[in-house]
Amino acid sequence: MQSRLRVGFARAIVPALAAAAFCLGSTALSAKTLVYCSEGSPESFSPAINTTGTSFDAARPVYDQLTEFKRGTTEVGPGLAESWDVSDGGKTITFHLRKGVKFHSTKDFKPTRDFNADDVLFSFNRQWKSDHPYFKVSGGKYDYFNDMDMPTLLDSIEKKDDYTVVMKLKEANVTILANLAMDFATIQSAEYADFLLKKGTPEQFDQVPVGTGPFSFVAYQKDAVIRYKANKDYWGDKALVDDLVFAITPDPSARYSKVKTGECHFMIAPRPADLPEMQKDPALKVINQPGLNIAYLAFNVKKPPFDKKEVRQALSMAIDKAAIIKGVYLGSGQAAKNFIPPTMWSYNDKVQDYPYDPDKAKAMLKAAGVATPLDIDLWYMPVQRPYNPNAKRIAEMMQADLAKVGVNAKLVTYEWGEYRKRMQNGEHITGQLGWTGDNGDPDNFFFLDGCTAARPGGQNISKWCDKEFDDRLNKAKTLADQNERAKLYEEMQVIEHDAAPNFLIAHSIVYETMRKEVVGFKQSPLGKHEFQGVDLK
Amino acid sequence: MLKYLFKRLALTIPTFVALMFVTFVAIRLVPGDPVEVRVGEHGISPERLAYFRHELGLDQPVWKQFLDYAWKILHGDFGTSLRTSQKVLTEFFTLFPATIELSLCAMLLAIALGIPAGVTAAVKRGSWYDQILMSTSVVGYSMPIFWWGLLLQMLFAEGWHLTPTSGRIDPINYYFEPVTGFMTIDALLSDQPGAFLDALRHLILPAVVLGTFPLAVIARMTRSSMLEVLSEDYVRTARAKGLSPLRVVGLHALRNALIPVVTVIGLSVGSLLAGAVLTETIFSWPGVGHWLIESISQRDYPALQGGVMIVSTFVILVNFGVDLLYGVINPRIAHGR
Repeated sequence: MQSRLRVGFARAIVPALAAAAFCLGSTALSAKTLVYCSEGSPESFSPAINTTGTSFDAARPVYDQLTEFKRGTTEVGPGLAESWDVSDGGKTITFHLRKGVKFHSTKDFKPTRDFNADDVLFSFNRQWKSDHPYFKVSGGKYDYFNDMDMPTLLDSIEKKDDYTVVMKLKEANVTILANLAMDFATIQSAEYADFLLKKGTPEQFDQVPVGTGPFSFVAYQKDAVIRYKANKDYWGDKALVDDLVFAITPDPSARYSKVKTGECHFMIAPRPADLPEMQKDPALKVINQPGLNIAYLAFNVKKPPFDKKEVRQALSMAIDKAAIIKGVYLGSGQAAKNFIPPTMWSYNDKVQDYPYDPDKAKAMLKAAGVATPLDIDLWYMPVQRPYNPNAKRIAEMMQADLAKVGVNAKLVTYEWGEYRKRMQNGEHITGQLGWTGDNGDPDNFFFLDGCTAARPGGQNISKWCDKEFDDRLNKAKTLADQNERAKLYEEMQVIEHDAAPNFLIAHSIVYETMRKEVVGFKQSPLGKHEFQGVDLK
Repeated sequence: MLKYLFKRLALTIPTFVALMFVTFVAIRLVPGDPVEVRVGEHGISPERLAYFRHELGLDQPVWKQFLDYAWKILHGDFGTSLRTSQKVLTEFFTLFPATIELSLCAMLLAIALGIPAGVTAAVKRGSWYDQILMSTSVVGYSMPIFWWGLLLQMLFAEGWHLTPTSGRIDPINYYFEPVTGFMTIDALLSDQPGAFLDALRHLILPAVVLGTFPLAVIARMTRSSMLEVLSEDYVRTARAKGLSPLRVVGLHALRNALIPVVTVIGLSVGSLLAGAVLTETIFSWPGVGHWLIESISQRDYPALQGGVMIVSTFVILVNFGVDLLYGVINPRIAHGR
């Protein structure tokens, strides 16, 4: 009896153990799957209504735009528009659309036609026209369309024929071509939108994306995973992996663990503290470049003594920038000397930064007639931003430096929305803020120091308005030749440096960590994560 | 019994209303506007701000907003998330099974190990086993979840490669549509060889981390309750009757000692869900914990209010169930008698 039991037990347990061993040791399926450890769930899959980089990254594999940033650059090239003509002194742009571009299919929807001008009109009119049937779907907040001043810029968008779209502007502005390469200007399927409207589920449009991009959407499980598969019909260079998986992993330590163990091939946003260990790991590679951003301390030129440029220059020499980079950015920051980052075209490398020289600063303050001790306020953001990991700590370091030259800075902060509003109204004497570029165009940075933005409530928080600077800013917007524009921007950097309306702190350095087997990834100055052209060796 | 049931159910109604009110007011006391919080350095024009505040009803007096909200809740409408424009209930119940699966496994682990450990410690009072168990339980009781989770992750996942680091299933090898939301069950239903074991492997570390605290509490409570019961006259009588020690301890003593243990288990459900927030973060476990934290930081009023209310209702109902269990464990204290 006992031996029969033993045999029976053995018969049952051996296959079970074998199955378990097989399962536990199972290897990857034959398809090539790239796993990207992303940091969070997207707000939706329609970039038009999204605001975060996480959401844009999640929608990007699926979609294309009329113009596109060349991979790893801020250079604008053709996308769904093969070419375009600029006429009427820069006020009319005629787009010639690519033919034979297929939209993806879903379980319910099979496209009956290729991409055409109707899709372009749909994608912009949804965000622009309040009577559009999709305008209010999913909340109707088109933040980027409005932030980029598209309603002010656009006069009309018309379909000339199925493959020609004419965009008329109210005034000449060449930066619109860069705007059109941004995620909010993604082209979505008008046919799919009609299909869902008839079905009575228009909100599904923003949850189950149908695009023309290199990957098609497969499935999304909130806070867990997003799956895509390579689009075999893609019009451009086809994806080099079969499947793309976004493993949503909000905690940076967990992301690092997953990359180390090979559960992910690529991770976003490593913790600065983990970087030295990552760089030593032979299974990993770490790349970096300065982000498209700037952190600065604005001097309110409307408030004495900051109306004198000598005072602003003196304070620029009183703060130890290197100590801030070392102590707060922990190696993830590059000292800024221009308002635009060095990865942007027209960056003027000839500009020499103000040296840290408290003695000279003291002497300059005296020469400018400033009686010390001078009481000022120094505002700092209550939140962490991509360009500024700890505004309070920076403020404390600045406060200590300024005290050495006889300036007593009182630290002030408010809730984020209130902070921004009060600064834009010019209530501060000095205050920290920063900027993250949207479209890779220098104008997208320099407008922050322009006269239009210096009005009360405007985004120029130093309220500095210089005719020489502003004339060049406005002229550059109307020039089609990039070299001519670059010349003007270089001159503007010299003017700005001399006037010192802001103490430029740093451009944060963006690190990307991946396993050694990942090849072909190009780091985007715009902070995008694009996996077209990426392979696993 | 029925009368008791109705009385208890009636008592949950004011608790529910109070919860709704407190959550509603508390989130509004936190500085920050749901519209402005999503706006970056670009800012927002006063016109657009006013438009969206009006659309969301935020321009109404708070008391009116509360009445509107309560009215909608009465009709089963928990609103729409401001972040994702999805129905709060849909979002919540997409994520809740993950939290329940994790909490349930943690609690089962705590009960399965805690009660026998507590009983043994009581029976062998003063022995080295008792000493070790009690000091270990103090460690388990006072250990920060974050530290414990990271430590286990580093040892078992990164160091010895015995378990995955995080997540619920290996996304490269397994893919199936969720049916129940419980990964272990869905893996079984998927018919994919190895999926169930993989889901279990992913569950081990988070369940151990989350279950450590209730395990320590249950073990200690079982021990002290058993010690009390073991000195009772009826236990001595049972022994004198010549019943086997297993029968005396397992049947006569444990059953009576379980009442406070069950109470502790019921109360632990609340702390278990709170602990799940941290555990979910460490192990990238897609439950409601992380979702609620994001809702706070984004001032997503409807998601936060809805989420807190459903979780709290769940805790209230579990404790209600525990109350009913008393009668089952010890019929002498059955309610209404």
